[in-house]
Amino acid sequence: MLEALWEGLLLVLQWKAFGFMLLGIGLGFWVGLLPGLGGATTLALMLPFIYTMQPVEAFAFLLGMHAVVATTGDITSVLFGLPGEATSAATVVDGYAMTKKGEAGRALGAALASSLVGAIVGAVALAAAIPVVRPLVLTFGSPELFMLAIVGLAFIASLSGEGARGMVRGFIAAGLGLLLATVGQDPQAGVARFTFDTLYLWQGLDLVPVLVGIFAIPEIIDLFVRGNSIAGNAPPGKVAKGAWEGVKDTYRHFWLTIRCSLIGTFIGIMPGLGGSVAQWMAYGHAAQSAKTPEERKQFGQGDVRGVLGPGAANNSKEGGSLIPTVAFGVPGSTSMAILLGGFLLLGLVPGPDMLTKHVAVTYSMVWTIVIANVITVAVCFLFLDRLASITEVKGHRLIPVILVLVFIGSYTSNSHYADLLVTLVFGGVGYLMVKADWPRAPFVLGLVLGKIAENYLYISVARYEAAWLTRPVVVVLIVVALAVVIYPFFQMRRGARG
Amino acid sequence: MARNASLALAIGVALIAGYAAFAAKGWQWKAALFPLAIGIPLCCLAVIEVVCSFRDKRSAEEPATHGSALPWAWMGGFLALIVLLGFPIAIAVFVFGYLKLQSKEGWVMSTVYTAVLWAAFYGLFDYLLHLPFPAGWLLEWLGLA
Amino acid sequence: MKRRQLLVAAIGLAAAPMVMAQSFAGKTVTIIVGYKPGGGYDATARMLARHLPKHIPGRPTVIVQNMPGANSVIAANHVYNVAKPDGLTIGTFNRNLPIAQLTGVDGVKYDITKFAWIGSAANESTILAIRADLPYKNFEELRKAKETVVIGSTGPGANTHDFPLLLKDLVGVNLKIVSGYSSSADIMLAVERKEVDGRAGSFTSLRPFIERGVVRPIVRARSTEPGIDKLPVDESFAPNPRAKAIMALRSAPELVARPYVMPPKTPAEIVKAMREAFARTIDDPELVAEGKKSKIDLEYTPGDQAQKILADVMNQPKDLVAEFAKYIKFGE
Repeated sequence: MLEALWEGLLLVLQWKAFGFMLLGIGLGFWVGLLPGLGGATTLALMLPFIYTMQPVEAFAFLLGMHAVVATTGDITSVLFGLPGEATSAATVVDGYAMTKKGEAGRALGAALASSLVGAIVGAVALAAAIPVVRPLVLTFGSPELFMLAIVGLAFIASLSGEGARGMVRGFIAAGLGLLLATVGQDPQAGVARFTFDTLYLWQGLDLVPVLVGIFAIPEIIDLFVRGNSIAGNAPPGKVAKGAWEGVKDTYRHFWLTIRCSLIGTFIGIMPGLGGSVAQWMAYGHAAQSAKTPEERKQFGQGDVRGVLGPGAANNSKEGGSLIPTVAFGVPGSTSMAILLGGFLLLGLVPGPDMLTKHVAVTYSMVWTIVIANVITVAVCFLFLDRLASITEVKGHRLIPVILVLVFIGSYTSNSHYADLLVTLVFGGVGYLMVKADWPRAPFVLGLVLGKIAENYLYISVARYEAAWLTRPVVVVLIVVALAVVIYPFFQMRRGARG
Repeated sequence: MARNASLALAIGVALIAGYAAFAAKGWQWKAALFPLAIGIPLCCLAVIEVVCSFRDKRSAEEPATHGSALPWAWMGGFLALIVLLGFPIAIAVFVFGYLKLQSKEGWVMSTVYTAVLWAAFYGLFDYLLHLPFPAGWLLEWLGLA
Repeated sequence: MKRRQLLVAAIGLAAAPMVMAQSFAGKTVTIIVGYKPGGGYDATARMLARHLPKHIPGRPTVIVQNMPGANSVIAANHVYNVAKPDGLTIGTFNRNLPIAQLTGVDGVKYDITKFAWIGSAANESTILAIRADLPYKNFEELRKAKETVVIGSTGPGANTHDFPLLLKDLVGVNLKIVSGYSSSADIMLAVERKEVDGRAGSFTSLRPFIERGVVRPIVRARSTEPGIDKLPVDESFAPNPRAKAIMALRSAPELVARPYVMPPKTPAEIVKAMREAFARTIDDPELVAEGKKSKIDLEYTPGDQAQKILADVMNQPKDLVAEFAKYIKFGE
């Protein structure tokens, strides 16, 4: 394995491959940054250009681009409260809150540093897991994936507000998300559920317009009404200086960052869970690390741990999700599907071969992820102060750009005007939720996990009838889910006592 | 405001969940199971929240949120512009209009800002990525598309 | 006299290509794909877009735009009703759209036979493959199976679901269809996990797994390709003519597997030019080489042929369609 690792590194460090990787990074930087430039559409456009490249060069390019998207996606989330990618939505919650307190530099520093840690952990996990990856993935069948979805949903409890009332609201939000996830044609009977006779709703609500609406629009309204800059009345100069503070935060909460990276990697490895889940579970886990109810209340107001968790997880997930793509040909997301197309184009058939005969190419992918992220983070740090000082510009000057990005970001998923309407509608819902102090994270979690939970439940029951409940991994996951649900109550008790 | 918003949301959710459960009853059980299993408890929870919200005391008047109708007007207006005139023109009109009317910037700043933003948008999304931006109903109706 | 006639004829001949070349030079032809990037329809369209310009008179730019939604009904509606018939818009969408129209799906605003048909860029062959370590080596053995064979599928409307469904309901094979997998790749993973025993799908997508020895093909639908032509056809096991007609109806769209159309009322010369361009492009050695690498096998079926196949589909007697609709719903 060590020789393959070394060989993989040498492959990446060849001039041409390295050059293409830099090109990919340059492109990926903007793709992640700008909402509307989805990783998927741009990857599809890049495919024709990789024809003339050797496999390693092509991967350096494609992966260099892809690996960086998760890192820079956090930047718009932190600066504008606008998720640059669906996978960067969780970073908005505390990241933008920190920015409003004038701590944009610190938040960016934390997001970037944790992204780097996450990327490295994900890459290391990919490299280490290669020998055991096939048995690992094969152990997780539909019942296990259903239970994982339940564990994800169990985090709702941790993401809800405090107190019994907070729990009720959290569960209502989650329930609404789950209910909205059922819109569309169901895969069991083919019934068109809640489509109100429109073609638009046949395939359900698209995640990106909803996310953009529910997170970005309330903030835009708030910015409009306030009239001043995003950073509010923070003393000038403080905004930009915090970057190192953010890095130090990553070090201070090192184990939390590592744990969240592992969560992200693990979720990434599981095919079929989708790309948006990992960040919310990591956020929920980070919230659990609060030791007292007062500390817990800080989440959502600008606790740096709320940035570290998702920041790490959405990067480590990338390394993880390469595993099902490479080892099984099962892409975990649209961008992975396109990457898979690239594989086939270059004559590499995903499957056991990629882990044995061509394992050096797989390792070169690992190295690409690591190196690409190191370079990106380094470059971002150079510009960090300039980026952060955007938040000191008068709000009304920024709103046109932000709104244009919001609308484009929402439109480009499906090229359908109805998405814009969806964004505004959920903008309204998000606005009310913010004013009413209802948590939005459980809603997103319900929306993301609803279909997955339903499908895997039906498959499990159809295939195994009741026997699936007694499978060993399922039992373990039931215990984990219960622990995740009970923990916040335990936290509250501990805080009340102390 | 918090109490009213909570009330509004809770009522909304109760209505939605109630409707969902009601609509799902007519479907085959495989399609109906999840909506029912989620909708009914959700409706109950929402009703609980409605009752609790009613009983919340109205807290001391929070900072007035007047003026929050205006951003909605701007956003809705932008949407209308996009549908009527198509993305490219709508962006130019909206950005310029906002800068002049709302942000009260000078002519030079507004024009340059709009031009740069429009060029970036056009160059990236239209020229490079070929994303489809239909012409806009008004233009089509007038035969200018 | 003769010389002048010759001269006029010569000028006419020289001018003709110029007249043709006028039609597309400097223009941009858009291929609208009814799916998001990454899928088979999108990949095919992009591959064609790369090589078409050489073969269209005037060498226009050819770009691809995605218009996903409602399993590409939205894209079809758009090409039918909104796009201008000036030869600059091409549409490609779900091959099962004729079925949607036939079974009266709400929201269908097109008539599949009235499009200006360029043709089909490929054929699909659907097969059922089961895990290689199962004891059933051919269809007869499968039919006699005492234990239920579990087949994974994505949902009604996809060939992963419909093909085995007809085998189960019409031929009586002891199959259990488990739906809900997010993609056919997920089903293959379930096969490797021994969670399901097999899946149906296009030969192209199953071939790597057959070659690796994971699954074994058992039966195919009417449309065939080298490699599976020795397999029995599902229709041959139909117990009665009606069942056979239903199976044939299900598989008819597979002969027009990658449909390419232009809006109705597109002028005939433009349609002709496009058909020729497509035929030449699909034979283009560069495209063929690219196709070999990415395992996209293209084969041109001319537009009039495609139109005829689909007109036959639409002309089926009402009672057959009613019976058909009991089994087959439009979905993916």
